[in-house]
Amino acid sequence: MATGIKDRVAIIGMGCSVFGERWDRGADDLMIEAFEEAIGDAGIDRSQIEAAWMGNALDDINVGNSALPLAHALRLQTIPVSRVENMCATGTEALRAAVYAVASGAIDFGLALGVEKLKDTGYGGLPLRTKGLANDLWMPYGSAPGTFAQLAGAYSAAHGLDGGDLKRAMGHVSWKSHQNGALHGKAHLRKAVEMETILKAPMIADPLGLFDCCGVSDGAACAIVTTPEIAKSLGIDNPVTVKAIQLSASNGWEMGYGEWDGASVRNTQVAAKRAYAEAGIADPRAEISLTEVHDCFSVTELVTMEDLGLSDSGRAVFDILDGKYDRGGAIPCQTDGGLKCFGHPVGASGLRMAYEVYNQLRERAGDRQLPQVDFGLTHNLGGAPFNSVAAVSILGRLD
Amino acid sequence: MTHQPGSIVAVGGYLPLLRLDRAQAAKSLKHFGLGGRQAGYRAVAGWDEDAFTLAAEASRALTESPPARICFASTSAPFIDRAHASLLVDALALPRTTRTLDVAGSRRCAVAALLDTLLGADDSLIAAGERRPAKPGSPAHLAYGDGGSAVRTGADGAAKLVGWASQAHDLLDSYASRGHETAYPSEERFVRDVASSAIIAPAITDACTKAGIAAGDIKWAAVHEPLSGMWKDIARRTGITAPNLAATLAEQAGDLGAAHALFALGLAFDAARPGDHVLLAGFGSGCDALIFRVDAKVPGASSVRAALGAGEALTDYVRFLSLSGGVDLDFGVRSEFEQKAQATVVERYGRDTLGFIGGRDEQGNVQFPKTPIPVRPGATGRETLEDVRLADLPAKVASVTADRLNYTPDPPFWFGLVQFDNGARILMELTDASGAGFAVGDALGMRLRIKSIDKKRGMRTYFWKGAPAQRPQMEA
Repeated sequence: MATGIKDRVAIIGMGCSVFGERWDRGADDLMIEAFEEAIGDAGIDRSQIEAAWMGNALDDINVGNSALPLAHALRLQTIPVSRVENMCATGTEALRAAVYAVASGAIDFGLALGVEKLKDTGYGGLPLRTKGLANDLWMPYGSAPGTFAQLAGAYSAAHGLDGGDLKRAMGHVSWKSHQNGALHGKAHLRKAVEMETILKAPMIADPLGLFDCCGVSDGAACAIVTTPEIAKSLGIDNPVTVKAIQLSASNGWEMGYGEWDGASVRNTQVAAKRAYAEAGIADPRAEISLTEVHDCFSVTELVTMEDLGLSDSGRAVFDILDGKYDRGGAIPCQTDGGLKCFGHPVGASGLRMAYEVYNQLRERAGDRQLPQVDFGLTHNLGGAPFNSVAAVSILGRLD
Repeated sequence: MTHQPGSIVAVGGYLPLLRLDRAQAAKSLKHFGLGGRQAGYRAVAGWDEDAFTLAAEASRALTESPPARICFASTSAPFIDRAHASLLVDALALPRTTRTLDVAGSRRCAVAALLDTLLGADDSLIAAGERRPAKPGSPAHLAYGDGGSAVRTGADGAAKLVGWASQAHDLLDSYASRGHETAYPSEERFVRDVASSAIIAPAITDACTKAGIAAGDIKWAAVHEPLSGMWKDIARRTGITAPNLAATLAEQAGDLGAAHALFALGLAFDAARPGDHVLLAGFGSGCDALIFRVDAKVPGASSVRAALGAGEALTDYVRFLSLSGGVDLDFGVRSEFEQKAQATVVERYGRDTLGFIGGRDEQGNVQFPKTPIPVRPGATGRETLEDVRLADLPAKVASVTADRLNYTPDPPFWFGLVQFDNGARILMELTDASGAGFAVGDALGMRLRIKSIDKKRGMRTYFWKGAPAQRPQMEA
């Protein structure tokens, strides 16, 4: 009987590059930047890393396919390196691979590194990709904001909202994240923004305005993992451990079967339920200290609060407006500013989220430090609400 | 040996949503001093419509029983060596054993094909579509219109061919060529004199003689004028007193080229009563004149009339220029995205895509596309899916947005989940937005449209899009 990975793997080092429009840096620079911080944090010699996983979602954007760009950038010496890709859950997939390898006993030290260099495309928004030769014959080429905007309309319809409350709540999501991002030296956007500016911003995909959309940026983040026993032997008394990592992926039900109301994301609900069970969390509203969720768009964060079970169905709008997820609220969300302020270099985002939770658990979050942190949750949502991969991870301390 | 010519069984007509207000366009061209026709409207194809899709839309109601033969007629067909009639077989979900033929060569090609079909007493679908390019400022620029028309022939139809005549005459009233794709016109006074006296009037007179009727017996005419306002002269020369509905069509939607005369024929049939004689004349490098005796209401005729009346006025001249190719707007780097349609993939999925053929699984759920293991929750093994054509089935918007980031030639890009009443759910593009656009719950009808254009390789793909179930009505 499988028992899951709770407390079987410790994170002993993490690093994160400055996110942003890194015109003067290539993907290799970003990888090195994140890695140097992580290896320094872990306090081990780089030769001790036995295997590495590189998360990179858009292989034709400046990084190239396979994991060789990671091996080249860090000059890893003949260890196994593999590339993983699962849309916006890519960074978490890299972490999951390294964690599973350590948990299996195959290796003692693993490296997970996510990187994306988006700003070499020469245009705004995420890079355009085909959907596969057969799907291209019929499937629309909607943009990322276009696909997530559908969530807003369906949510309003499902809960009988007139759009005004939803728009204000979405605005609050972004306002709150900008407040937090302004305190993080590695964020892409480090400026607080007035609510009026957010609400009056140009429309990108109805009803998502400019400030409802996260930034597009370059960045890398990484984690070094080992067993809790080794972590302790390295002098880390109460290491950060992985309590759960769970994924759920669409099989076509949402967009191909006439049942889903479009107002929630089943994969997030399923992944969260499994993660809570794996981590032994019975009451997430009471036990989760903070969340770093996939706020690619403000409405995604809003709906995710319900899908994670932190707000009742149809109530996230009001919980958000009441400040429940502000930094001083009951369950702070995006204490680092989230995708909204860090931007979304796809392969790096999952690990960037873990980096914030890790720092909060290790009480290194500076001005953003929360008074009491026991469990932090990260969430990625890859693809579109109607065709997604959701990842939910929970980190905590060993004791 | 003699045999009875065939008859017309049904007609169809289709116009795009938008109708350019010529008076508005003329204001934009005021400084220029030219611009052509200044009254009425010009039907304007959406970015995702071409001669093939317009012909397909006009044909949709005419293939309840499969025809033995399909003939596609156009002078602006998108492909040079790829038969649109074969594409129509797939778009209309007809058997691959259907005989197919594309005709072109002049605006007259559809009428000429109809005459040949009737003389051969064939069970055919003649489908005409036209979206002709025209230079801004040229007379054709505002005189042309985009649209499609179709005629179904067979034995014992409501309209019998009773007389016909032809004139072959290489009149250079206007030509287009591979070296000059837009119309190059001759002086109008020359065209009016010669076309009327030497080509059209003799053909009509000859056809009346062969039909054994006097010109005054013709109650309705569908005579494609080379230039507007010629009908009066043609009527005087032939003795016809009937109104020309082709002139009405040119006024309200523009000159539809190869599709014009057959669309006007539908209008004439709609107006006709049993026993009336209707004149059809196609013009271009000659003339074919056909006289029909209407024995009963011609199926589809009222829908042709309805198609003329349904639409939305377009007053934005720059948008018209962009849609009609008169100006090449810079849509930025995102518009550089391209896909190559692979022949092997089109071979595997093309017919189901073009025909909008989904599948019903063994427990009754309908889905698109068909998959070996159905999308139905709980399905775990292969099932045999029964073909279900979704093109003609009602649906509603389940989720939607107006995407202003991704490139589309006519922003914004509307798309969302579409829920069919039969249970199928599909992520689709939406088109023909009018007013405030689309909202969750809106009723949709399906339209065959261009899915993607690969400019580099001169390729395009087609798929169906959701459009408002009801179109607004043009003001009378």
